[in-house]
Formats: sequence, C-alpha cells, structure tokens
Amino acid sequence: MVANTLKSTALALILMAGLTAQSFAADPSLDLVAPLADYKIYVAENTEQLVKDTEAFVAAIKANDVAKAKALFAPTRTSYEKIEPIAELFADLDSSIDARADDFEQKEADPTFTGFHRIEYGLWVEGKTGEIQGYADQLLKDIKTLNERINGLTFPPEVVVGGAAALMEEVAATKISGEEDRYSRTDLWDFDANFAGSQKIYTLFRPLIADKNPDFVKKVDANFAEAGAILKKYQKDGGYVSYVELSDADRKVLATKVNTLAEDLSTLRGQLGLN
Amino acid sequence: MSETPVAPNRHLYWAVAAAACLAVAGGGAFWYAASKTAATTRGQAADRTVTITATACQPNQITVPGGRRSFEIVNASDRPIEWEILDGVLVLAERENIAPGFRATLSVQLAPGTYQMACGLLSNPRGTLVVTPSDEAAAAASEVTLRKFLGPLSEYRVYLAMQGNAALSAAQTLQAAIAAGDVTAAQAAWQAARLPYRRIEALAYRFSDLENRIDPRAAYLTGREQDPAFTGYHRIEYGLFAQGTTEGLAPVAAQLVTDLEALKTRLRQAPLDPQLLIALPGDMATQLAQSHVPTGDDAYAKTDLAEFEASLEGLDKLTGLLRGVVASVNPDLEAQIGAAMERSRADLTALKQGGAYPPYDTISAEQRQALSGDLTALAAALSKLQDVIGLN
Repeated sequence: MVANTLKSTALALILMAGLTAQSFAADPSLDLVAPLADYKIYVAENTEQLVKDTEAFVAAIKANDVAKAKALFAPTRTSYEKIEPIAELFADLDSSIDARADDFEQKEADPTFTGFHRIEYGLWVEGKTGEIQGYADQLLKDIKTLNERINGLTFPPEVVVGGAAALMEEVAATKISGEEDRYSRTDLWDFDANFAGSQKIYTLFRPLIADKNPDFVKKVDANFAEAGAILKKYQKDGGYVSYVELSDADRKVLATKVNTLAEDLSTLRGQLGLN
Repeated sequence: MSETPVAPNRHLYWAVAAAACLAVAGGGAFWYAASKTAATTRGQAADRTVTITATACQPNQITVPGGRRSFEIVNASDRPIEWEILDGVLVLAERENIAPGFRATLSVQLAPGTYQMACGLLSNPRGTLVVTPSDEAAAAASEVTLRKFLGPLSEYRVYLAMQGNAALSAAQTLQAAIAAGDVTAAQAAWQAARLPYRRIEALAYRFSDLENRIDPRAAYLTGREQDPAFTGYHRIEYGLFAQGTTEGLAPVAAQLVTDLEALKTRLRQAPLDPQLLIALPGDMATQLAQSHVPTGDDAYAKTDLAEFEASLEGLDKLTGLLRGVVASVNPDLEAQIGAAMERSRADLTALKQGGAYPPYDTISAEQRQALSGDLTALAAALSKLQDVIGLN
C-alpha cells in the first residue's frame, strides 16, 4: 500500500519533470565544444593527480607502513571518484580498480576482488600489508593504464553531460547507505568527490542553459549549496570524519538533496539536445 | 529466441519493493528508486526483456536488429545490480543501481556487431548480444550530424590547448638556456621547442600577425638575416646554429614567449566547427607537400625531418578524429586516408639513419619529391571529406 501510494506520487512528479524537460529540448549546438573540452582537461588533471597519489599510496603499502597507507587511502581515491563517469567507461579497469566485495559471489574471498576496496579490507580488517602487496602493484599498473586510455579517448558528449546525474544516482543508490567504504568509513571523502565531479560538469554547461531555464539553475544551485553545507559540517583537518559520525537527520537531508539533484540533472542531456 | 521471460512473481515483487523501501535511508532514496520503475511502467514496451538472476542473464544470448533498441532489465536477484552492454572493454551503455525486484529500461543506438552483456555480479558469466545489420542501422550510420562532430571538435580543442601549453613551456626552457649562455643546451631546447608548434601549425599559422613574428624565414625577408622583421624561432636558430652564440638572443626569446602566450590564448578561444576541422589537415598536407618539404624551414639547424615527424603527428591527430566520423559513412574513404597517412609516416621514418634523422641537406631532391608525393596523395584523399561528411 505504502509502496503503491509512493509510486503514484513519483509517477506524477516524473510526468511533470518530463514535460518541463521537453519544453526545453534542443538540438546540440557548437557551444557544447568548449565545455566538453574543458571537462576533458579537468579529467586529465585528475588522472595525473591520481597517478601521483597512487604512487605514494602504493609506496606506503610496499614499505609496510599501515598507518601511512590508511591515511593516504581516502585522499588518493578522491581523484578517481571525481571522474567516475569517464573512468567507469572502461569496464575491465573499473572492476579491477573499484569493485566492491558485493560484486562477487564469494565476496571478500573472491580471488578477483582487487583494487582500492580489497586494499581497504587489508588495511582496516586484516590490519596488515603482507597480503595486499600484489594488489597494490596491480592498482598502480591499472591506474597508469587508465590514465593512458583516458588521454587517448574522445569523450562521448552524452556520457560527459549525463555524468552529472550519474554521479548523484550512484551516491543515492549505493553510497548514502555507507556501502562504499565499509571497512574504513571514509565514505564522506567519496561523497565530497562525487559532488565535486557532478558540480564540475553542471557548472561547465550551466551557461548554456541559465538563460533558457533560470528556475532550473536556481534550484540546482541551491541544492548543491545545501548539500555542500551539510558535508562541510563534517570536515576535519582537510578531510572528513568517519561516516558513522554522520547524524541520521543529516543523512536524510543529504539523501533528499542527492535524489533531487540526480533527478534534476538527468534532464541536462535533453536540455542540451543530447538524448 | 524472442520469447519474453516470465516476469517475477507479483507478490515477491511487492514484498521485495517494500523491503527495499524500509532498507534505504531516507524517503528520497526510495522515491528515486520507485521513479525508475514508474518511468518504465509508463514507457512503451521494450524490444527485449532481460532478467538478471543471482547467477546470470536470462536469456544469456540475445539477437536484435541494429538501430535504437530498448531493453527492460528485471532484477530478480537479491542485490542491487547493473546491466551493461560492452564493446570490448568499453561500456557502450549501462543501467546502474537497479534495486532487487525492480526493473529499468535502457534505450541505446546499436550498430551491427557482437557485444557482451555484464549480468549483475562481476563473478557471473557474461552474456552475448548480437546486433544484426538493418536498414535502420545503416541509415543511422550514414547520417552526418553536428552531433557526430562534437566529440572530435572537443578532442581537437583539448589537443590545441595541450600542445599550446607545451609550446610555451618549451620556449621558456629555451629562454632559460639562452639566458644562461649555454649554446649546447639552447640548441637542444630549440629543437624540442619546435615540435609542439609544428603539431598545431595547421591552425596556428592562420593567426598571421603572430605567425609573422613567431615563424618568419629569412629567405622571405628583404634584408634576409639582417632584416629587423627576422624574429622568432628562426632568428634564434640563426644565432644558435649559424653563429654559434646566444648573444643578442635574449630579447628575441622573450618576444617568442610572449607571442606563444598570445597564441595559446587564441587557440583556446578559436571557434572550431566541422568545416574547419575538415579543412585543416588537407591544407596542412598540401602546404607540407608544396612548400615545407621541397625547401625546408630550418636553414641553419637542418632539423626538418624531426619536425616533419611532429607535423605528421599533428596531421594524424586531425585525420584520426575525422576518420572516426567518416568510418561509418564511407569506410573506403576512411581506409584510404588511413593508408595515405601510414605511407607518409613509413616513408619519413625510412629516412632515419641509426635511429636518428640526418640533416635535411643530405636528403636528395628525389627523396624530397617522394615525401611530397605521399603528402599530395594524403591531401587528395582528405579533399574528398567535404563531399562525404561536410555539413553544408
């Protein structure tokens, strides 16, 4: 019953959203070229940073310095989380770099469970670096390959523009629950990076829609600002506190903001003629 | 097999949905998940339904005609899943975060070929999606739209920005070596500084005010090397390679850096359109064939061959992007351009001696003519692009 009621409300909202988006539908224009190019430069800067940070992270693991490796885990991931819409285009690397234990039938015991989260499991749950040396080597190799592939990739415009919503959907569906960094509880770092990546895309294309749809940008601006303000409360020493410290009230507000942003940003493609 | 698999039991569906409702944090998350289902419900029937169980896609092999196809994905497993269509390692399309018991649709433009489907867990076997040729797919492939140029234009803009930056920073390195009075270091820096400029020369030379200060050759000036308008790269080359000194070059280098800064800004702001993208490589190939290759540019350093390699890299970037556009419209032309490009590159590389390019004055008229011929053939192939993918 409850589900049914919610479902019809959602249906009504969707229909309204659909109509709004449709009235602003457009053919793609050459104005998209500059922000698309700027986005690739943003991604390239992030993968360059990711290679550097991963080198330091892996070096700490190789030196058996658990404390240092733990400290570097979350900040290293941020460059990946910012550019996830592009990074996850490469299915093989996305699996080997960022898969979670849930993605495998045998969970943590699956031998193909590798990458950041396998290392996270090693550092926080197993509390040692012996087992994960090989995973660390593989991670650095994968990150370097990712960097090369991204540099050589002509970005599909619809993936770039769709990425703003994709990042928020990802947070809404599988991150707000705290599944992502379950061993380290560094989820808020990832949230922050996902927001930054989504907002970057939105900001780059915003000038192309602001005049046509002032209410839309006003609403999205406000939601980004409000979500940002909540996250800011949990900042500490240039990073974030543990996810367990996020209050239920704030989690709920964040969830609402993320969902609204996901829904609103999903109209960007249509507004820019890229459906 | 076009049979639609049996939909999951209705009671189970709502039970799982209700459970999902309780499980997710915040009402918004549920609203979002529910909205996906709602969007599916109101949409038209999908071309195919794929049910993802705990262990596989059902069916695990699907055949559809090419064109815009829609898929309804049903999550009959007990975990949130994603369904992806993979073209090699690249994700062609995906529907992520489908909650247990929920369904979602995905509509995607498919070209004929064989693809893989990622079915839920990474440890699950992948399915196969076979896309057969169709009139619809053929029409979509041959259609030339502005949209097909957006990626290539953006990519070229990135290339201009990167090479523009590289040209500037290499000129700054050159400037530093000149300031230090180190002729050997400055000679090496000069050669390196030329390469990024040559890669983007196709567009850079069109800014004639800057070009006249950055790249004039003495042979084209009344007073030759003594002409006050003899500035930029070749004035520095003259000092370093003909006179063997850095004396008097500091202000020239400073001006070059200033001009390259201006060039970088202009390249960033240059309005790119399909017409220009199509014209650039053909024009550059013609210029190389008719002017640069016959006479050479580097009268004192004689390092032309290494620079031609950079020019070809710049051409390869442009032609590579255009080949991506033309490939589906006219595969023969795509292959022809690829072959002409390869021929130019192979013939240039064949001039290397012991892994390095010899001075350009050792390259005979016949050898130059052969190179010119390759580039003329490339320009001829490129000139057909306008008719095939030109938008006007």
